[in-house]
Amino acid sequence: MAESDSSEDEVAAHNTVGNVPFEWYKDEEHIGYDIAGKKIKKKVREDKLDSFLASADNSENWRKIYDEYNDEIVELTKEETRMIRRVLKGMAPHPEFDPYPTAVDWVTIDKAEHPFPDAPEPKRRFVPSKWESKMIVRLVRGIRKGLIKVDDKPKEENRVYLLWGDDRNLTERHHIPPPKPKLPGHEESYNPSLEYIPTAEEVKKYELMYEEDRPKFIPKRFTSMRSVPAYDKAVRESFDRCLDLYLCPRTQKKRINIDPESLKPKLPSRKDLKPYPTTCYLEYKGHKGPVVSISTDSTGQWIASGSNDGTVRVWEVESGRCFRVWELGEAVQHVAWNPSPELPVLAVSVGQDVFLLNTGLGNDEENRRVDDLLHVESHMAHNEPGASEAIISETIVKWSRDDNHGAIRLNHYKTVSSVEWHRKGDYFSTLMPYGESKAVLVHQLSKGLTQRIPFKLHGLPVSTAFHPTRSIFFISTKKNVRIYDLLKQRLIKKLETGVREVSSIAIHPGGDNVIVGSKDGKLCWFDMDLSSQPYRVLNCHPKDITRVAFHRSYPLFASSSDDCTAYVFHGMVYSDLNQNPLIVPLEILRGHASVNGRGVLDCKFHPRQPWLFTAGADSVIKLYCH
Amino acid sequence: MPKHYRPPGKKKEGNAAKYVTRSQAVKYLQVSLSVFRKLCILKGVFPRDPKKKVKGSHHTYYHMKDILFLKHEPLLEKLREMRAYEKKVKKAQSKKNRDLAERLLSRKPSYTLDRLIGERYPKFIDALRDLDDCLSMVHLFAALPAIQRVERENIQVDRIHNCRRLSHEWQAYISRTHKLRKTFISVKGIYYQAEVEGQKVTWLTPHALQQVLPDDVDFKVMLTFLEFYETLLAFVNFKLYHSINVKYPPILDSRLEALAADLYALSRYFDANSKASKLDSEDIGLSGSQQVEEKHEETKLEESELRLAQLQHQLPSNEPGALMHLIGDAEGNEEEDTNTRECRSLFKNMKFFLSREVPRESLLFIIPAFGGLVSWEGEGAPFNESDQSITHQIVDRPTQKHTFLSRAYLQPQWVYDCVNARIVLPTDDYLVGRIPPPHLSPFVDNEAEGYVPEYAETIKRLQAAARKEVLPMPGVGTEDLADPQTLLVEGIIDRAEAIEAAEKKKKMSILQKQYHDELKLELQGTQYPSIVDTVKQNDAVEESLSNLLQITEDADNMSKVVMPRRKRKLYEAMQIGKQRKRAHVHLLKERKEKIDAAKKS
Repeated sequence: MAESDSSEDEVAAHNTVGNVPFEWYKDEEHIGYDIAGKKIKKKVREDKLDSFLASADNSENWRKIYDEYNDEIVELTKEETRMIRRVLKGMAPHPEFDPYPTAVDWVTIDKAEHPFPDAPEPKRRFVPSKWESKMIVRLVRGIRKGLIKVDDKPKEENRVYLLWGDDRNLTERHHIPPPKPKLPGHEESYNPSLEYIPTAEEVKKYELMYEEDRPKFIPKRFTSMRSVPAYDKAVRESFDRCLDLYLCPRTQKKRINIDPESLKPKLPSRKDLKPYPTTCYLEYKGHKGPVVSISTDSTGQWIASGSNDGTVRVWEVESGRCFRVWELGEAVQHVAWNPSPELPVLAVSVGQDVFLLNTGLGNDEENRRVDDLLHVESHMAHNEPGASEAIISETIVKWSRDDNHGAIRLNHYKTVSSVEWHRKGDYFSTLMPYGESKAVLVHQLSKGLTQRIPFKLHGLPVSTAFHPTRSIFFISTKKNVRIYDLLKQRLIKKLETGVREVSSIAIHPGGDNVIVGSKDGKLCWFDMDLSSQPYRVLNCHPKDITRVAFHRSYPLFASSSDDCTAYVFHGMVYSDLNQNPLIVPLEILRGHASVNGRGVLDCKFHPRQPWLFTAGADSVIKLYCH
Repeated sequence: MPKHYRPPGKKKEGNAAKYVTRSQAVKYLQVSLSVFRKLCILKGVFPRDPKKKVKGSHHTYYHMKDILFLKHEPLLEKLREMRAYEKKVKKAQSKKNRDLAERLLSRKPSYTLDRLIGERYPKFIDALRDLDDCLSMVHLFAALPAIQRVERENIQVDRIHNCRRLSHEWQAYISRTHKLRKTFISVKGIYYQAEVEGQKVTWLTPHALQQVLPDDVDFKVMLTFLEFYETLLAFVNFKLYHSINVKYPPILDSRLEALAADLYALSRYFDANSKASKLDSEDIGLSGSQQVEEKHEETKLEESELRLAQLQHQLPSNEPGALMHLIGDAEGNEEEDTNTRECRSLFKNMKFFLSREVPRESLLFIIPAFGGLVSWEGEGAPFNESDQSITHQIVDRPTQKHTFLSRAYLQPQWVYDCVNARIVLPTDDYLVGRIPPPHLSPFVDNEAEGYVPEYAETIKRLQAAARKEVLPMPGVGTEDLADPQTLLVEGIIDRAEAIEAAEKKKKMSILQKQYHDELKLELQGTQYPSIVDTVKQNDAVEESLSNLLQITEDADNMSKVVMPRRKRKLYEAMQIGKQRKRAHVHLLKERKEKIDAAKKS
């Protein structure tokens, strides 16, 4: 059954007066107005009798009800009566109505977080957009005119054009161009010459190498072009190149592209610097052990040598004849000839002793004088010990007469390593490296006196020397050379060698230049007027330098070393103070053999000729002449 | 106060301000590392080596100016835009808005590199100078298989085709203008060297075989490089074609040539039409007509027709250019240097025919570059194998079935050796079935290297003979055999030379002496065994030799003694390199001697 409002469904409902009291229309002819505003006439009322009769006749009359508002009689339908009955029973008018429906939660009971917008819908929601329509019009026009293309893929236009047409002047930024790849050599050929292909052993050797040392490319030979396979590392190498291009830091390196020979200094030709010793002329053989020390006499006619076999020999220079032999029993440390030609006395240090030997080489008168001198000595030494303050007591040095050799014997309390004569031949100094404060002693031959050097020694003394003209004394320790004035008794200068260990020093005959040989094979030239640092360091020997020597008159100096060589240099010192000394290496002298790792032990120049004597560990003395 | 302390308010300066590490740079530019890499590659920015590495020595440093240079690059913006666009597409795709996604994908933004090329190479000569890597890479990719690879490598087929096209265009230009100078078949591939505008451009083409694609190679980086190189080569080709008045890009491409028969028909058709256009088509299509390497069976007939139409459309417009080109060519003859003229006429009046198994692409490039006519076995060839005027047939197989008497059957190496020697070499050594003489690199300066291979000498003599000069006989030096010792002392000759000269002199003198002795003995009429004598003499030789060695060493030592330390160290460092070189030469000589000895016995 369709539910509907009865009042609205019925078409006949005409009156529109509304809810007003009926009394207002009691006296009127109409009961109200219809929808068009016309008066609705009152109907003629049935009298009560008629109505009663009607009800008596018609059993259905009870269904009729008078509607006062519309002034009409309404007949109730069955449904309506049923509805009324239900209402009267207090039930819902419609039978379908379920008074207890199952509850449905149309709305949440919880309070909503956001309020439901209750703003009214704006008008624009209901009105078509003006701007959209305008846009559409525009698009339509554009499409019609062909200005806008619908769903047309962008055209592939040709992107190549003449880029370098004109010479544009672009500001160039600093750019380092990448280095070009290396061009292939013969070995990369598919058919290289046979000599480029490593042998099987060489290839095996490559496998033993470290990976980074191993050659990247091993040449291979194919007899025809069709047998060449694809190169398996082509992509890999190309990729590596790419990586190099964008990952390697690029720097511009200055590469020296010069002939290495141009680095060598321009030296005067060696021919112009002649004479100098070049070739071995004589050999003096006779010693049975390494010749440790040699010395030439002032005339240049004789040469003395001391050896480890305990002998001192005197040789005639020009003939090579051994003139005399002394057996001293112990290994000889050093021999030194008296520089004075009137006193042919040889000082020899052997162990703790220093012998002053009469060589007997002078004429008779001289020999007698020497004998006298050596005889008188002994008495003097016994008679007057310790005359002055500086003179050393007998416990340290004992002067005594050695009758075996007809010599004076100076017995020291420590091993004497070297003996140096003063230029006048009266004084000589001895060096005891482990003698501590009394390491360096100065002896006077004529008086038989000994005195201590009144200077403090810094470090182990290695070598000493007298100044060739003035009363100046040089003592070198392992690191430095100290120069003392003997008269004023004070230090003049300290030369810093900067080498590991000094082995020997030599003084230029002019007295202003010193050369120092070291045990690391360096030779330092000091110009004492310039500075305390070496003027020139010559790195000439791979092994220890044993001795350095100056020539007395020629501008020559030499160094001998354990590597069995001796270098001869030209060392010119100019009288002009502004000009630096000129040093030119002249010759490398070889010939000595190495014995127990030792080579040339000593070198000395001939006093007059440009000749060099070298004493070797192979017990030979050699004379090199020009 | 620590050494690195910087007072507040004071700006950074020195190396700390000038150089930034890579991660700093990436952060500064606000890009991802891959984009940064790409930018660096395209812009040609490379790391620097600062004197003082502020952040530590394990970092890569970039110059701040370079980074700023990247920062102001419009390409950076473009790359960002592209990234945003990709996001748009992805969004559309994930919303299943297929239409939008498709539409977006069809109009992806792209970038061009022409401005970058102009910026990196302000002048054409700069581009040529930097072309080596470009050409090698493009040729390598042209040789890669043109099939869709697996996803990882992501090498697009059309890129490979583009590489092929570009490389052929370049080769066509070089060949056409006879600018090729040197060639070298190596194990890695074939090297070519051309001289373009005075610049030597060298490139490597891999052997035309299946290439190995290693796993540990980042193809992304390589493809970025390739992107730049492709653009560069296209512009360079344009400029070069423009310089000889040929329109670029040429229309004939490899796909057309794939249909070799059609092409032949086409060329005949053009032949009938106009001579000029035919010439032009040959000029342009030179590369093309030579690239018939693999047959694209799947290419359809319609396509070729389409191309034909394109061609017809294109060629008339080319006509004036072609004429001008011909004129220009004639004029250019006088300007050409002697080198080019020599190259142009090397294979003049020679007709080559290539067998199936020879590297055709390479020979088709080289032979026309040196003025020869060439044809090949296969469809579309200009002339047949049975052509009687063929003078040389290039063959690379052990035996030949049918031989024409009028032509020489040679191995391909002959062509390459002829090109390097610039003379037509005698063909005897290169005949089919023989092992050819060693193939030597033309890039090596044998004199500087210190070792001249035997075949190089032979070639030199042949060259001299071709130039009608007389070379001194090998072994008889021009240098006078003065006393090497004096020369050495005076510093005129090198040590090694001195030793060699001394040796030579000694030997000669000994021989002389021996001869005299023998003469004497003969005169005396005695038969005396001279073995002892010679042994003695040999000893003497050795002694004198060692003596000389000693002297040279001494001279060396003595000059070193007076050198200042720094110079001495430098000198010694230089000697190390020299020594290495000498050792290498020595090794080669030793091997050579051994090989010779083995041959003799």
